[in-house]
Amino acid sequence: MSDAASRPVPKPDVFVPTEPFWQGARDGKLMLQYCRDAGRFQHYPRPVSIYTGGRNLEWREVSGLGQIYACTVLRVPGPGLAGRVPLSLVTVELDEGVRILANIIETPLEDVRIGRRVVLAWDRLDGGVAYPAFRIV
Amino acid sequence: MTRAPIVIAGYAETKVEFRSGRSAYDIAGEVLANLIERYGVAKSDIDGLSVTLALSEAPNPFFAVYMADALGLTPTWLNAGGIGGCSATGGVARACSAIRDGMCRIAVVISADAPSTAWRADYGAYRGEFQDPLGVQGPPATFGLLMSRYDHQYGLDPAALGKIAITQREHALHNPNALEKFKTPLTMEAYLKSRMIADPLRVLDCVMFCDGGNGFLVMSEAEARARGLDRTVRPAAYAEVTNYAGSDPCADITESGFWKLAPEVYRQSGLRPADIDMIQPYDDFTVAVLMQFEAFGFCARGEGSAFVNATDLSHRGTLPLNTGGGQISAGQPGLASGGLNLAEAVRQLLGEGGERQIHEPRNALVTGIGTIPYGRNWASSAAMILEA
Repeated sequence: MSDAASRPVPKPDVFVPTEPFWQGARDGKLMLQYCRDAGRFQHYPRPVSIYTGGRNLEWREVSGLGQIYACTVLRVPGPGLAGRVPLSLVTVELDEGVRILANIIETPLEDVRIGRRVVLAWDRLDGGVAYPAFRIV
Repeated sequence: MTRAPIVIAGYAETKVEFRSGRSAYDIAGEVLANLIERYGVAKSDIDGLSVTLALSEAPNPFFAVYMADALGLTPTWLNAGGIGGCSATGGVARACSAIRDGMCRIAVVISADAPSTAWRADYGAYRGEFQDPLGVQGPPATFGLLMSRYDHQYGLDPAALGKIAITQREHALHNPNALEKFKTPLTMEAYLKSRMIADPLRVLDCVMFCDGGNGFLVMSEAEARARGLDRTVRPAAYAEVTNYAGSDPCADITESGFWKLAPEVYRQSGLRPADIDMIQPYDDFTVAVLMQFEAFGFCARGEGSAFVNATDLSHRGTLPLNTGGGQISAGQPGLASGGLNLAEAVRQLLGEGGERQIHEPRNALVTGIGTIPYGRNWASSAAMILEA
């Protein structure tokens, strides 16, 4: 059991192969799954393209730019929150036309609003492992 | 459903309790014994069984089979209901099809769960890598996001959500099966002051996981009459959808699967929104109720708050809402939750509502919601129209 103050690093490749996401994070790049047939990104990663049902998938870097589509503030402590409450959780709609759930960091809570432009920032899990987050531009 | 008439000929329900210390099997046993006793059906006559998968028995992939064994039943049709809060209405609909296809004659649709005694579910999948590190522990975070978006597009009046919670609490006061903890009236002041969980979601917008169960006896109308079961309820329409808009990562999350189902159940039943005598919607969160008023055409899209504020939703009102208190005020018996709303609709249509009885209702709209997906609204939606 991880203690409440830790931010455990998830095991990759459990659900579908995700190593490119984690390697990208180590390199400071946000890598998401891309369907070559549809020419569109999808997230979270799937075993097939949600557009075609095929497996002509690859991982591509996204710009890390987007805007807030929905936002909330997590106020109840629990696993993974590690003393971070109140914590901003948002849905970011990336300029590439795909959404990703993320924490907003390095930003006062009152500045987090729907429609605000955001840019990729890097959060840290246990052992300094990089994990994507965003901050207000 | 205009084919051979299949009916719900009986229902049973346990009390909703917090940390009952009981298992889903034990709760289901109480439900079955109650059905047999009240409706005079011999155990050996039951040849169909639908079992809703339970959070408290989640590690067992053979739960439905174990349940048949535990209950001493030998079904020739067995269904495992895996669509969460849609599994009760979905189980009844599947039982109707199985009976029409001759796979069984008398089916029991049973839902029992005890997550407040034993939480043993692990959803796995993408959550470990893409939700857990963010602190998305459960449904409230996703509903906080949904409410923020709804508010941004249409405006969401906290007083309207409060009215839903207060109305349902008032109904729970008249429900002997409701959780004891919720047997006190709720005021708007208390609702508005209740603490934020995931802004703008308050604790009193939410359900509380409890233990409990329910069951429904499904058979042909002819079979029911032959058995002297003259007071029955007929499923007049049913539709469900899972992963609505699932191939559009930028879909409008304020539009749920109910937008697809509503025209379908109205078409099947020949009814219009104005004809509906009561609504027993799945109510994991107050905003889900508000959004369903819009999806089912009781008001225009985005007008949910104004509609709630202007409408008497009590059991004596123009559109009675969750007259047993719903899950928000009777307690959410885990994944048996979908049957809570269904049992109340059947009870009302049979005229057994007691202090909270609606005056001579002819029909009811019952819905289900199942599973919270990644950053959207809900994964499964189900809707059934019942007629007395």
